[in-house]
Amino acid sequence: MARSILSLFGSTRALEGQIDTFLEKISEGGLVFQAGLNAFLAARLERAGERIEQLTALESEADALRRSIEMTLYTEMLIPESRGDVLNLLGDLDTLLDGFKASLLGIVVEQPEIPTIYHDRVRDLGAVVTEACEHTIRAARAFFRDVPSIRDHIHKISYFEAESDEIALRLNRSVFGSDIELSRKLHLRDTLRVICEIADAAEDCGDRLAIYAVKRSL
Amino acid sequence: MDSVFLYLTSGLFLGWSLGANDAANVFGTAVGSRMIRFTTAAWICSLFVVLGAVFGGAGAAHGLGKLGHVDALAGSFTVALAAALTVYGMTRAGLPVSTTQAIVGGIVGWNIFSRSPTNVYELIRIVATWIVCPVLGALFAAIIYVVIVWLIRWWQPHLLRRDWYTRWGLILAGAFGSYSLGANNIGNVMGVFVASSPFREIHLGQWLTVTSTQQLFLLGAVAIGVGVFTYSRGVMTTVGRGVMPLSPVAAWVVVVAHGLVLFMFSSTWLQDLFGRIGLYFPLIPVSSSQAVIGAVIGVAAVQSGGRAIRQVRWKVLLKVASGWVSTPVVAALLSFVLLFVVQNVFQETVYVSGRDTATDCNAAKGPAVSNSTRLHASCSNNAPAKANALSDTRPWHSLARGTSNIQSRVTSRLYGPETRLRGPFEKRMPSESSIMR
Repeated sequence: MARSILSLFGSTRALEGQIDTFLEKISEGGLVFQAGLNAFLAARLERAGERIEQLTALESEADALRRSIEMTLYTEMLIPESRGDVLNLLGDLDTLLDGFKASLLGIVVEQPEIPTIYHDRVRDLGAVVTEACEHTIRAARAFFRDVPSIRDHIHKISYFEAESDEIALRLNRSVFGSDIELSRKLHLRDTLRVICEIADAAEDCGDRLAIYAVKRSL
Repeated sequence: MDSVFLYLTSGLFLGWSLGANDAANVFGTAVGSRMIRFTTAAWICSLFVVLGAVFGGAGAAHGLGKLGHVDALAGSFTVALAAALTVYGMTRAGLPVSTTQAIVGGIVGWNIFSRSPTNVYELIRIVATWIVCPVLGALFAAIIYVVIVWLIRWWQPHLLRRDWYTRWGLILAGAFGSYSLGANNIGNVMGVFVASSPFREIHLGQWLTVTSTQQLFLLGAVAIGVGVFTYSRGVMTTVGRGVMPLSPVAAWVVVVAHGLVLFMFSSTWLQDLFGRIGLYFPLIPVSSSQAVIGAVIGVAAVQSGGRAIRQVRWKVLLKVASGWVSTPVVAALLSFVLLFVVQNVFQETVYVSGRDTATDCNAAKGPAVSNSTRLHASCSNNAPAKANALSDTRPWHSLARGTSNIQSRVTSRLYGPETRLRGPFEKRMPSESSIMR
C-alpha cells in the first residue's frame, strides 16, 4: 500500500510537470504566432513558413501532453471533483494553440495584401491577441495554485479582448474607407476576423475559468 | 453457553446496523466525493473500529450502565434487539437514525418495564449531549475549516498536490474517526451485555490480559465491520451529498471534527487532562450522525464567507432532526413491547432486580436464573424472596398471568387436562410452594 501511495505521489508530481509543460507550449505558441505574423508583414514568407512548422510541432506536442494528462487523471482517479473542469480547461487552451496555427496558416497560404499603412495596427492586433492568451494561461496557472487571483487575470483577458475588437474595428473602418479593391477589403476583413477570434476564444476560456474558480473557492 | 451466544445475536445485529449506518458518517464524504475507494474505506474503518472498541471502548460503555442496569441476559438481548430493529426499520424507511438514541430509548423502555428507576441525572446528561454534540461538531468544524483555508491560501499548493494531501488526510482522519467510533459507540452495541458477559479473562503470557469486556467488544466490533462491508456502500455514497455538497477539503474537516467529538466523549485520558483545568465532560456514547450533521453546518457557516449556508437543504435537516426525536421514543416503545413478549410468550427472565434489588438478589442466586448469578455474586442477603415474575403486581404482569391461564386452557383442551406446556421459564424457576417453604 505504501508503495502504491508513493507511486501515486510520484505520478502526481509528474502530472504537475506535464500540466506546466502544456501551459508553456500554449504560451510559446502565442509568441511563435506573433513572430510569424511579423515575418509575414515583413514579407519574409519563408520565415513565416518555419513558424507554421514550429506551431504544428507545438500543437502535436500539446495534444500528446493533453491526452497523457487525461489518461493519468482518469486511471489514477486524481482530483475527482475538479477532473472535468481541468480537462475542459486544457481543451480550451488547446483551442487557442489551434487558433494560432490556423490563423497564421491562413495568412501565409492566402497571403492577403495588407497595405503598408496598416502594418503597425495589424502588428498591434497580433500583440494584443497574444497578450489576451498570455493572461488566459496565467489564469489557468492560478487555477491550479492560487484561485483568488484568477479574477485579476480574467479582468485583463477581457480588457485585451475588447482592445483587439477595437483595433479590428478601427482597421476595418480605415480599410473600407480606403479606395482599394472590394475583394482585397473583404479578404483583409476576414483575416482580421480570424485573428480576433483567438482573443474571443481566450475570453470564453476566461469566462469558464471564472466559473471553475467559484466552484473551487474555499 | 450456546444460549448465551444466541442472546448476543441481537447485539451483533445492532453492531451490524451501526456498521452499516455510522461508518458512512466517517467515510461517507470521502467515498461519496470519490476521493477514496469503498474497499479501502471499508478496510480502514473495520480495522480501526475494532482497535477503538477493544482498546478504548471501556470509558463510554459505562455511561449507559449508569442509565439503566440491564441485569438479565434476555433483557439485554431484547433491549439490543429493540434498538437494532429501530435502527434497521428507520433506515429502511429512509429516516435518519442514531444508534445511541435507539439504545438509550431501549434502556429506558427496559427501566419502565422492570420498574427500575431511570437515572434521571444520567438521562439528562445523555440528552444534553444530543444538543452539545452537534454544537461541538459545528464549532470544531468551523474552527478547523478557517485554519485550514488560511493555511492553503498561505501555502498555495498545486491542485494535484492538494488532492494528494487531502486524500491522505481523509484516510488518516477516517482512521481516527473509525477508532473514535469504535471506542465511543461500542457501548451502544455491547454495553448492555457487559454486566452479563459470557467471556472469561484470557491471559496471554505474563503481561497481556484480554478482559471479558474486551472480548465482548471485539465480537461487537467484528459485527460492525461486517456491517461496514455488507451494507454501508449505498449509505456512504449518498451521505456526503445529503445535507450539502462538500468539497474534499470540507469533507476532511467534517471527518476530523466528527472524530474529535467522539474521541472527546470516550477518552478517559482526555477527561483526566481537561479535569485538571476544571473542565468536565461525561464519557458516554454520543451520536456520530449528530456530530457529522453539526460539522457540516459548521463548515457551511464559514465557507465562502457564510454564503454556503444557502446550500444547506433545510428539509433534509428537518427530517434528520425529526429522527433525533422519534428514534428514542420508537426504541423505548419497541423495547417495552418486546420485553413483554419475551417475558410472557417465551417466558424468559428479562430482568432480575427491578424495584427491590436486595430481595431479588437471592432469587437470582437460585437455579432459576443461572446466567445472572455472576451479577449478584456479591449479594449476601439470605432472606427468602420470590422471583420477580411471581411476586409482581404490575398491570402488564397481570396481563401476562391472564395469557398464561389462556395458554393452560388451550393446552388442556388440546392434550387433555393433565398436560401442561413447559417453557424454559418453568423449568428453571422454583415453584411458588417451594419458595414459600
